[in-house]
Amino acid sequence: MHDAPRLGKLTEKRPIGTVSFLGRYGLMDFTLSNFSNSGIDRVGILVDRWLHSVISHVRDGSIWINNTKTGSQRLFFNENLPSHKFNTDINNLLANRLHFEDQDADYVVFAPAFFLMSIDFRKYIDMHIESGREISLIYKKCKNAKEEFLNCDIVKVEKGLVKDFAINSGSAKENNISLEIFIFNYKTLVELVNKTREISSLFNIRDLVNYCATNKLYQVNAFSFDGYVAPVLTFNDFTKVSMDLLSYENRKQLFKEDWPIYTTTHNTPPAQYGPNAKVVNSFVANGSRIKGTVINSVISRDVIVEEGAVVKNCILFSGTKVGKDTKLEYIVSDKNVKIREVREIVGEADNFIYISFGANI
Amino acid sequence: MSHNVVAMILAGGKGTRLGLLTKKMAKPAVSFAAKYRIIDFPLSNCANSGINTIGVLTQYEPTILDSYIGNGEKWGFNGVHALLTSIAPRQTDEGANWYKGTADAITQNIEFLDSMNPDYVLILSGDHIYKTTYNEMIDLHVDSKADATISVIEVDPKEASRFGIMAVDETDRIVEFQEKPKKPKSNLASMGVYVFSWKILRKYLIADKNADTDHDFGGDIIPTMLKDGLKLQAYRFKGYWRDVGTLSSLHEANMDVALNRSDLNLYGDHSTRIYTEDTYSLPQYLGREASIVSSIANQGAIILGHVKSSVISNEVLIEEDAIVDRCVVMEGSVIKRGAKLYNTIVAPYTVVEAGVEVNLKNDEIALVGGKVNK
Repeated sequence: MHDAPRLGKLTEKRPIGTVSFLGRYGLMDFTLSNFSNSGIDRVGILVDRWLHSVISHVRDGSIWINNTKTGSQRLFFNENLPSHKFNTDINNLLANRLHFEDQDADYVVFAPAFFLMSIDFRKYIDMHIESGREISLIYKKCKNAKEEFLNCDIVKVEKGLVKDFAINSGSAKENNISLEIFIFNYKTLVELVNKTREISSLFNIRDLVNYCATNKLYQVNAFSFDGYVAPVLTFNDFTKVSMDLLSYENRKQLFKEDWPIYTTTHNTPPAQYGPNAKVVNSFVANGSRIKGTVINSVISRDVIVEEGAVVKNCILFSGTKVGKDTKLEYIVSDKNVKIREVREIVGEADNFIYISFGANI
Repeated sequence: MSHNVVAMILAGGKGTRLGLLTKKMAKPAVSFAAKYRIIDFPLSNCANSGINTIGVLTQYEPTILDSYIGNGEKWGFNGVHALLTSIAPRQTDEGANWYKGTADAITQNIEFLDSMNPDYVLILSGDHIYKTTYNEMIDLHVDSKADATISVIEVDPKEASRFGIMAVDETDRIVEFQEKPKKPKSNLASMGVYVFSWKILRKYLIADKNADTDHDFGGDIIPTMLKDGLKLQAYRFKGYWRDVGTLSSLHEANMDVALNRSDLNLYGDHSTRIYTEDTYSLPQYLGREASIVSSIANQGAIILGHVKSSVISNEVLIEEDAIVDRCVVMEGSVIKRGAKLYNTIVAPYTVVEAGVEVNLKNDEIALVGGKVNK
């Protein structure tokens, strides 16, 4: 989760991976579940800060691991360095050398938490092995690159190999966007990571692959993924994707029948609806007690919406309490927010108002 | 005060009055309140009481129950010194023996209990819906130096003749036991929840083993102990408690939760919750034309129609224009477009075809399963 995008105030005190999504997930659950469902049982999570938030979310790690004896989930964390820009994922790997170099794996897959997708890595690992090359990258041909995936890496592909990189400034409608999913031969990665310091101490894995491809040190395979990918790179992306997934058409592309998304359990009872509840086009997570009106919204665990309250186009994180007759529109409320004294808070469709964790309004 | 307690949960019964719900599944595995199985209640109560050694005695169709119990992780029994195990009747040197009665189930497992070496044994039923801790009852047993303590609940005097009734003295010591009496001497009904001092219970079980009895706690062990002058103490249980052995009592208890009209509080503080299996589901989704009032629903449910006073389990799909009123719809069922159900229990994975009306007359509880056509 190093160098991950910032989602405004949402990631002020937590890494992007633990941002609550769709009422019950953390954003990182999709990537973790992809590993799990792809039979990859030795998983490392590279954390650059707010380790406590990640620990609370992943707990003992057994949620995503198939066999807890032969598999493992490790948190890789580096002590704070004098300057944050040196705290790269490569630096993290080097600092945790004992665990990182100790593995007897043949291949390693890196994947970020901010591209939401359901992907079976096995197909791509097979292609990687068959190619005989040491490094592979997975990209997606995006049809809306003018508005989406801005500032992401564009990959120029020639004969199935990475020719060059560029930054997406929205100049073209269609472009190959790197999903920042890399497959390495393990030995190659260990060698490269140890040598990187000689090149630059600011390098991260993404820079490393870029460097290898453009300086022709290695031939990097470019594999295409053509499934649904939801980028969560900004606060607006977050609200947009949340609202988009209220539609069944979008949902069924991300949530597949044979590809469950696993997450932590909180022992919450079923959602309860009062005699005057009115709920349409919304997700409601367990533990919630809805007595008022909820429209086009995402309601997380243990949320209370009192009588007469109207919640429209909102994303309410767990434990939020909306008082009687309160009207909320285009709001993202963080965990345990209480909205009692204010009558009305209205944001805008492309500019949701964010209410911070534990606020009492 | 901490005592060495082992709980034994009787989960072997068939539940004959639950029709197709228990055709292939033991009663404690039956779904309750959209998310739970009945056995979650005694198991969670034990966990919340600090009782972490539990034997679950199974007999009738135990497969689903056994794999549900697993390693006990769902209720936290996978920690150090914790043990949750399923114990079915088995073949031994002495031959093959089914459990012949509630007491016999324990008698056949005396060795298991000896190996646990408890001071006290808590006998529970796997069929009851209630949320409690057992510490008060155990403390009472210890403080009053009783040989056995029986949990009792006050029932309507008019109903008393349906139960095992305990008559007590002013210290709540039991002086008489009446099985379904025509003239009840009190309104304290036995709940089938017992605390025994193990050494004493052990003696009585061994004596009962070859006796010509029904090998039943309520019918044989307790009356014999009483006759022998042992000290039997009544513990007065306060709170919500239901035996959900019939379709109508199962339905009513579900409605208690949906309509939020009882003392059973599933929403209270996190430290005494009822624990259960968590499914890999999306949060429930309510559609553009949906309506849902006075109901509870679990994750994975997709509600596109109209739900009123009902209990909707996980992975249930209720299509547009369908009406579900005062129903308990169990896991994975599909209620297709325009179907109308009233006062019905829908078994897991049932499909009710489009436009079908069920139980329109709705005075008695209906039970449907499989494929329901016009």
